[in-house]
Amino acid sequence: MERARSSSRTRTVRASVGRALTIGWFVIFVLVPLYWVVITSIKPSSDYLTTPPVWFPAKPTIVHYTAALFSYRGLQGLTNSLIIASVATLLSTCMGTMMAYSLARFNTGGRHLALWVLSQRFLPPVAIVLPIFLLFRTWGLYDTLTGLILAYTFMTLPLSVWMMFAYFQQLPKSLEEAAWVDGLSRWQTFWMVATPLAAPGVAAAAVFVFIAVWTEFFFALILTSRHAFTLPTIFRAFLGFQGAQYGEACALATTSLAPSIVLGMLVQRHLVRGLTLGAIRG
Amino acid sequence: MVAPAVLIILAFSIYPLLFSLWVAFVNYDFQIPGHAFVGLQNFQEIVDDPLAWSSLGLTIALSITVVAIEFVLGLALALAMVKTFRGRGIVMSILIIPLFISPVIVGQSWALFLQRPFGPADYLLSQLIGRQVEISWVGEVPWVYFSIVLADVWQWTPFMFVILLAGLAAIPPHLYEAAELDGVGAIQTFLYVTLPQLAPVILLGVTLRLLDAVKLFDVIFMLTGGGPGTSTYTTSFYLYQIGFQQFHLSIATAGSWMFLILLSAVIIALVRRLLNAETA
Repeated sequence: MERARSSSRTRTVRASVGRALTIGWFVIFVLVPLYWVVITSIKPSSDYLTTPPVWFPAKPTIVHYTAALFSYRGLQGLTNSLIIASVATLLSTCMGTMMAYSLARFNTGGRHLALWVLSQRFLPPVAIVLPIFLLFRTWGLYDTLTGLILAYTFMTLPLSVWMMFAYFQQLPKSLEEAAWVDGLSRWQTFWMVATPLAAPGVAAAAVFVFIAVWTEFFFALILTSRHAFTLPTIFRAFLGFQGAQYGEACALATTSLAPSIVLGMLVQRHLVRGLTLGAIRG
Repeated sequence: MVAPAVLIILAFSIYPLLFSLWVAFVNYDFQIPGHAFVGLQNFQEIVDDPLAWSSLGLTIALSITVVAIEFVLGLALALAMVKTFRGRGIVMSILIIPLFISPVIVGQSWALFLQRPFGPADYLLSQLIGRQVEISWVGEVPWVYFSIVLADVWQWTPFMFVILLAGLAAIPPHLYEAAELDGVGAIQTFLYVTLPQLAPVILLGVTLRLLDAVKLFDVIFMLTGGGPGTSTYTTSFYLYQIGFQQFHLSIATAGSWMFLILLSAVIIALVRRLLNAETA
């Protein structure tokens, strides 16, 4: 009896040690490369190629940030990214919410419309971007903020539609039905009753859309060159074959990853819904 | 209410796709004026190109490898995190960080971390095994494959973990209580209670990940640039090279149509599943 109890206790201890090790290793695995990038961005260049590597720079500097942002057009990339991500988020969330409401409440277009929107999410970008590139050149949208905003609105619509679709389905209909009884039109009901109720869902969807646009690379790489380039597309310039500018590249990387991580933390609660387009309600 | 969204999707998906279908059958070249109809020649160019096949092979091999590793690690992590403990919130926040970072930055970060002489990877490894290590992680086969897998696993294991954790948390506790009363061991409980209950979530997570993994481009672009030689060309990277570096736009379009058709069977199956999950 005594032996049985102690062996089961050993097993519990061993299990918790195993759990702690699994988690601990992964936390280190996640943090190490990030730490290296952030620390490189504030290292003086003389600390780059030392053995052993410098993990804690004695004299941190912001010179790479100022150089990357002001001397190498990083600021323009940052501004472009902010404008493009904000406007595309606004457009995608508005259109997506409207469509999701219509799908959820009136079953517009039946299952086929919903299915069709969702399937857009899984098209390989390379298949879409080739013709868009050619059409953009004809339409004069190539290398413009407008062009990229429209492309990203399209790209993120399945995400906003499906996140909001799942959200509206969870909301009780009774308030909206009361509004109809009181003589409000469908539009009035949507704007004055349903949307305010769904505000937390809309906010979460907007953050996911913003992050998706903020971190996108492939569309931006192909649809822009000298003017409408975004933050993710300008790293290449710093990592050329002749004298890579590690500090500047890392400063830009840090500038780019910080906002999306902060935003991500804000919507942590909705993460599962965001990742599975509403299929699992976390 | 659906009109604006439908219009945008029509303008940016259906119209370009139809347009590209035309492009695939003509000779669309900035150097040569006019668009002569060439029939299936563009498709033939892809089929005859051994690089098209090897990049497709690499895409499939890499996708299966990374998704398998991400699934195993994600499941281990989810099992470890399912019980509450002190500091779980902070740990959770750290574990999901990679999901919010641009794949380009992930590629760049790993390149900087692994690349000699700048990155500390070789130094750390030398300390660990007590012997000088000089590995060209991003310039030499087979290490480049390891680096690509590493970067992808770093970024997407949290995806599997988050989804599987939600699945684990949704398993009714009474099933575990019943198993414990019956004196079922930990391994049997996992095999006969946890796994079957988790199966739909596993299927969803794996399919979602596979569909994204086959598009692998950003990490290749930053980490290896397809090299050394063409040994890390994936299908997306190959089509990008054909279309935007060599400007054989029609050939690339034909290739992307073939890629799309290959994928569409999987896409349709997944979309139906998602829709059923939603309406269930």
